[in-house]
Amino acid sequence: MNKFAIGCGGLLVILLFIVFVIGLFFWGTYNRLVGLGQGVDTQWAQVQTVYQRRADLIPNLVNTVAGAANFEKSTLTEVTNARASVGRVQLDPSKAPTDAAQLQQFQAAQGQLSNALSRLLVVAENYPQLTATENFRGLQAQLEGTENRISVERNKFNTVVQDYNIAVRRFPTNMIAGMFGFSPRPFFAAQQGAEKAPTVNFNFGSPAPGASPAATAAATP
Amino acid sequence: MKQFALWLAAFVAIQSHAAEVIPSKPPGYFQDNAGVVSKEAALRFNEQLAQFERETSNQVVVAVFPKMQSDSDVADYAQRVAQSWGVGTKAQRNGVVLLVFIADRKTSIQVGYGLEGALPDITAYDIRDSHINPHFRNGDYEGGLADGIDSIFKAIRGEYKGSGKTVREQYRRSGRPSFLFFIIFVIVLMIISRLMRRLGGYGYSSRRSGPVFVPMGFGGGGGGGWSSSSGGGFSGFSGGGGSFGGGGSSGSW
Repeated sequence: MNKFAIGCGGLLVILLFIVFVIGLFFWGTYNRLVGLGQGVDTQWAQVQTVYQRRADLIPNLVNTVAGAANFEKSTLTEVTNARASVGRVQLDPSKAPTDAAQLQQFQAAQGQLSNALSRLLVVAENYPQLTATENFRGLQAQLEGTENRISVERNKFNTVVQDYNIAVRRFPTNMIAGMFGFSPRPFFAAQQGAEKAPTVNFNFGSPAPGASPAATAAATP
Repeated sequence: MKQFALWLAAFVAIQSHAAEVIPSKPPGYFQDNAGVVSKEAALRFNEQLAQFERETSNQVVVAVFPKMQSDSDVADYAQRVAQSWGVGTKAQRNGVVLLVFIADRKTSIQVGYGLEGALPDITAYDIRDSHINPHFRNGDYEGGLADGIDSIFKAIRGEYKGSGKTVREQYRRSGRPSFLFFIIFVIVLMIISRLMRRLGGYGYSSRRSGPVFVPMGFGGGGGGGWSSSSGGGFSGFSGGGGSFGGGGSSGSW
C-alpha cells in the first residue's frame, strides 16, 4: 500500500516533469520564432530605408542634370517615371511582406528604377561640363554608395528570412509554427542580370544590363 | 548516368562558390600582403592605427592584397571582407576598412554603420580620388596610404570617445567574458550535483564524489597572438564585432 502510494507519487512527478519539459520546449520555440520574425521585420525596415534613401536622392539628381545645357530629356523622364511607379508599390516598412507576389512587384519596380538610373549616369558621361561639377560628383558618389547599401541590406534580408524559414519548416519547430500561424516569408529573388544591376555601370563599351536599344542609341549621339 | 550528372552539377556549384576567398582576420591594423610598403612604414602605420583606436575607439584597418580573390564587384567584396573581420565595436559599429588590390588597381573604403555620418560616401570618394589615387598612379603606395590614413583620421576623429585601450588590450585586462560564463557554468553544475546527491536515490549517489561534467579544453581558446604589453611591441588587432552596410567608396585608380 505504502509502496503503491510512493509509486503513484513517483509517476506523477515524472508526468509533471514531462509536461514541464514540453512546456519549456513550447515556450522556448515560440519565443525563438517571435525573435526570428522580429529580425526579419527589422531587416525589412532597413531595406526600405536604403530604397527610400535612393528615392530621396532622385529629385536632386534630376534637377542637377536637367540644369545642364540641352540634356537628353528621354532618360530624365524615364527616371522620373520609374521613381513614380516605385512610389505606387509602397509596402509597409515596419512589417516584411508575407505575399511573394507583393515582394516581386516591389522588386520589379525598384529594378526598373535601377536600370533607369544607371542609364542616366551613362548618358551623363557625355556631358563633361556636367560631370565636372562638384554637385554632380557628390550625387554620383552618394548614388553609388546607396546602390551598394541596397545590395548589402537585401542580402542581409535574405539571410534572416532564410534563418526564419528554416526554423518554420524544420521539425519539430514547424508544428509550433503551424499552431501559432508563423508562415514562411518570401525573399528577394535574383533576376537575370539583377546581381549586376546594383553596381552603377560607367563602362561605355558594354551597355547597362537590360538597357533597351533606344537608350543605347541615346548614349551615343 | 543521371547520378554522374548530379555529381558534376554539385561539383560545379562548389567550384563556382569557391571562387571567392574572404581573407582571414589580419593580425595587425596594417597588413601588407603585396610587399609594396617598407617594414618600417608598415610598423609605423600599425602603431598609428592602434593609437587612433586607443584615443577614439574607432577601429581603422588597412590591408593591401596582391589581387582580389573574387569575381564580384570590388565594393561588394570589400563589404563582405569588412563584415567578416568585424572591425569596429559592436555597439557603435565604428569601423573603417581600407582595402587595396594591387593587380586590379582597385581601392575600397568601407565605412561601418556608426561612422556613415562622419565619413559619408562623398568624403570617402574624395579621400580616394584626391588623397590616395594620385600617389598610387605614381607608384607611391606608401605616400598614398599615409595620406589616406591621415584623411580618414581627420574625418572620423571626434565622433566617439576612446577608452585609452584597444579592444584587444581590454580583453587582456578583464579576461574573456566566455571564461566567466564557463566558471559560472561549472559552479552551477557543482551545485546541481551536490543537490542531487543530497536528495539521494538516483543511482550514481553511491559514489562519494559524484562526477562533475567538466568539458576540457574550453577556456584556453582564442588566446595567443601578439602581446602589446611590453614597450615597443607590435599592437595586435582584435575586431569588436562591428558591422558594415556598404557605405564608403570603391573603384579603380
